[in-house]
Amino acid sequence: MNSDPAINTQVNWLLGLIQAADNFYPTGAYAHSYGLEGLVEAGVVHDRATLRRFLLNMVLPQLHQIEIPLATHAWEALGTEDWSTLREICILSAALRAPRELREAAEAMGRQRAHLAQQLHPSPLADTFWEKSQEEKWPHCLAVATALEARLTQAPVTAVYAAVIYAAVAGVIAAAMKLLRLGQNGAQTLLTEVLATGSHLTPATTHRPLQAIGWFNPWMDIASARHETAAARLFIS
Amino acid sequence: MKALTGHLHLRAGLTSSGDTAIVAQSFCAPFHLSKPHWDPDTQVLHAQVVNPTAGILAGDALDLAIEVESGAALLLTTPSASRVFKMEGAEQATGRQHFRVAAGAWLEVFPEPLVPHAGSAYTQETLLEVAAGGGLFFVDQLMPGRLAHGEAWKWRQLVLGLRVEVAGTLLLRERWEQSGESLAALASFTDTGPTTCFANGVLILPAAAENAEVPTWVTVIRQLHQNGIWVGMSQLRQAGWSLRVIAPDPLAMRTTLEDVRKILKTTFPRLGCGLRRP
Repeated sequence: MNSDPAINTQVNWLLGLIQAADNFYPTGAYAHSYGLEGLVEAGVVHDRATLRRFLLNMVLPQLHQIEIPLATHAWEALGTEDWSTLREICILSAALRAPRELREAAEAMGRQRAHLAQQLHPSPLADTFWEKSQEEKWPHCLAVATALEARLTQAPVTAVYAAVIYAAVAGVIAAAMKLLRLGQNGAQTLLTEVLATGSHLTPATTHRPLQAIGWFNPWMDIASARHETAAARLFIS
Repeated sequence: MKALTGHLHLRAGLTSSGDTAIVAQSFCAPFHLSKPHWDPDTQVLHAQVVNPTAGILAGDALDLAIEVESGAALLLTTPSASRVFKMEGAEQATGRQHFRVAAGAWLEVFPEPLVPHAGSAYTQETLLEVAAGGGLFFVDQLMPGRLAHGEAWKWRQLVLGLRVEVAGTLLLRERWEQSGESLAALASFTDTGPTTCFANGVLILPAAAENAEVPTWVTVIRQLHQNGIWVGMSQLRQAGWSLRVIAPDPLAMRTTLEDVRKILKTTFPRLGCGLRRP
């Protein structure tokens, strides 16, 4: 008779992370290109090489200077149930996205993930977060929703970083496969390279003060603004 | 040259005759305010902020606070570009700008571009605070350097922060903290050229609603996106619009921004006030 537990509880958070990152997790992420389609229309991204530059020069800096620091603050604020700071983070997250499409995409996916987290991992923390965000009309965002998922599954903050980076990079590459000539192997080698580069995080990235969070990419903003009124498009954003 | 801690505090208000006048002012070097000009056609008071020194130097700490009271309308410009000069070692300069617009007031801020020279280090934080029912058009321009000298993207540090609050709610937060090298790489990647210039605008409308149909003027401005000039407008959360322009050189930027103002003035007549003094 085997007396070992059926599953090591230490991996429960990892299972939660995998579940949330899976492409059949219903967040609507498949419908977004995260600004890529606008830059494809602008002729900036047109093959694997330019997609790689887009990921390294535009997506990763955005993650390192906005999403990762926001996620750190959210993870810490959820740990102490600091609702005032969480509200500030949610409002800041929306304010950091000038293009309407990118802002609304982040909000829609963030809301869906936070709502799912509350349903899948019932707890007073999840309930309070959801109630406060609804009552006070906080804008939702992926960084906060991912931090909430981590708190509810008792995942470490490093798991939050992994989830934020993976969702963004894999989401763009999945969209790129529909927009460009990009095969599965080419997509996976690119994903591997960008994830490895993106996971080099320093305290200056993870613990950036709230007032110092931000990154400016006017090309992406303009491409996204123009995508709002594009005559034909595959993706919502 | 000695570092300066200068300020310009200005309040524009409505006079008994219905004109706008400067009702309070305080300034010291390097700021100087030229005599304001009342434009009767657009009903806007045009004030020009002059920096009589060569530009922004190491150790300078600049504080600009502009307030427009209810019913008043003010246009604030500068006569020439703001140059940020080379600074040694860890030296740097800082600027704080606070623009406050009351309900029923109008403020346009349209300075000439910021030109960071090689080796300069400058941090500027701008707060736009607009009460519900206030109107604002704010445009900030950046040139990549002294292009006539073949110098671009050579600053040591450049941090440009912008915070836009309408009726007490944070609508937009931007923080430009890129190295020149990083921006040059993006300009090369997007093929906008080695002398790419940037403009960042915010338009807050007194009666805007987020779900309103896209106004005609937005559609027309978006059509300026052509021939290597990138133009985008997108609606901010709750109120107002964000404008971005990227142009391959300063002349193209100037022409495009003039076109933007021409288009906007058909709906917002106060933008018909000339940027140059008559």
